Amino acid sequence: MPAAVAVPWAGWSPRARREAARIVDAACVRLWLTEVAARLAAERDFLTQLDAAIGDADHGVNMHRGFTAVMARVGAVEEATGGQLLKLAGRTFVSTVGGAAGPLYGTAFLQAGEALGDAERFGPKLLLDAMRASLEGVQRVGAAAPGDKTMVDALTPALSAYELELRTGGSLETAVSGAREAAAEGMRATIPLQARKGRASYLGPRSVGHQDPGATSTTLMFAALEQAVLADRSQRFAGGARRRVSGP
Amino acid sequence: MIQSVGRAARILKALGSESARLGVTELAERLGLAKATVYGLLRTLEAHQLVEQDLETGKYRLGPALLQLGNAFLDNNELRARSLLWAETLASRAREAVHVGVLYGPNVLLVHHVFRPDNSLQILQVGASIPWHACALGKAMVAYLEPDARAELLAGPLPRLTGRTVTGREALEAELAVAVARGVAVEDQEAIVGEAGIAAALFDNRGAVVGAIGLAGPVERLLPDGPVAETVSAVKEAARGLSRELGAGRPAMPGAGA
Repeated sequence: MPAAVAVPWAGWSPRARREAARIVDAACVRLWLTEVAARLAAERDFLTQLDAAIGDADHGVNMHRGFTAVMARVGAVEEATGGQLLKLAGRTFVSTVGGAAGPLYGTAFLQAGEALGDAERFGPKLLLDAMRASLEGVQRVGAAAPGDKTMVDALTPALSAYELELRTGGSLETAVSGAREAAAEGMRATIPLQARKGRASYLGPRSVGHQDPGATSTTLMFAALEQAVLADRSQRFAGGARRRVSGP
Repeated sequence: MIQSVGRAARILKALGSESARLGVTELAERLGLAKATVYGLLRTLEAHQLVEQDLETGKYRLGPALLQLGNAFLDNNELRARSLLWAETLASRAREAVHVGVLYGPNVLLVHHVFRPDNSLQILQVGASIPWHACALGKAMVAYLEPDARAELLAGPLPRLTGRTVTGREALEAELAVAVARGVAVEDQEAIVGEAGIAAALFDNRGAVVGAIGLAGPVERLLPDGPVAETVSAVKEAARGLSRELGAGRPAMPGAGA
């Protein structure tokens, strides 16, 4: 993980700070998807290796193929809100990715996109609603509960950590950092679990001792989210500072 | 029950439950036994090559004799032995993976698995155990069980494995009736999201169900718009041929009429 980008708050009015901290827009969503795609390309073989131990050794390949298709479609769309981009990503995923990853991640993106609606810009609260909608969609399709050794084991704690951070006065930046940390912890906690869902559950006790590939790819998405938010924020502040300097 | 045999069995199961190797202390803690007891059992198991000790770490893992026993188990399974050719033929005809399973309590135990013939990386699933109500093989078999045995399975726990698992007793009974009428049972992402199955039951010379054979694969290929007639007849033909080889005569084969 890259170190958190230092945010130059100095010289900003409280109102400008609130505004800056509130905003996620389509550019940030694009940044996130791009970051996810890059990480999936880098981690493809690792994910496949994890899947070979308890699944059918196609998770890395599937996720990478799906996100390559997502980036091609998202790149071809110029005018779109964050929600519309996520819905496009979800539809692309469902139609291009086989196995369990297609329907599960596809639903997660679609539901998040639905929750964001056509808002041009949104704040951390709406992002929370989107994450919640994703989790609900994933659980509807996969019927997994926390502890079943699935992506839900990363998604659930990430969502809780994100919400807790917001409720205790945190910013979008600290909330996404908290989410990434909690997802990673949930991912590592899948190692000693016996799978109760998915192909790994066929193995019974033999699934113990392996990290869940789905929880791993979910954690990767939260790490990408953190990086996208921080990078987007530093760009925004750089732009804001320039405006300030050139202003009266 | 012989206590020491039970303890030895528990040691083997503990070593078989995870990839990590276990030391004497860890095993003793896990099983609630004295270290000396565990050590003695391990030494005996080691003499029979049922466990082996890693020389570097001193930890124990399962031994090579177990592989031979596992293979012997599969080899002695007559159904598996006889299904090899039929399963291979079905796989190349349908271009999908083939599973052969038997009922083992409320689960289907896969005794044979032929990979989808497309050179893709696939993992052998022989030995996997799938709840009967969530897979085509299980539904195909249970549909032809004696009423008592069927009722018992329907009354048992029916865990939800995906959002599409059928867990209602009446809905399952209706599906079993459809399976008998069609001659095949169908599963649509009820065990694993994205995967489907089409299977038919196998019968012996008394007309009793002894297993099932079927296709397993991506739902978009296996059930593009419900099951494809050609695929269904390929599964049925394989099941009929295999059943005949197992001694089932035409009149004794409930699935033969379909």
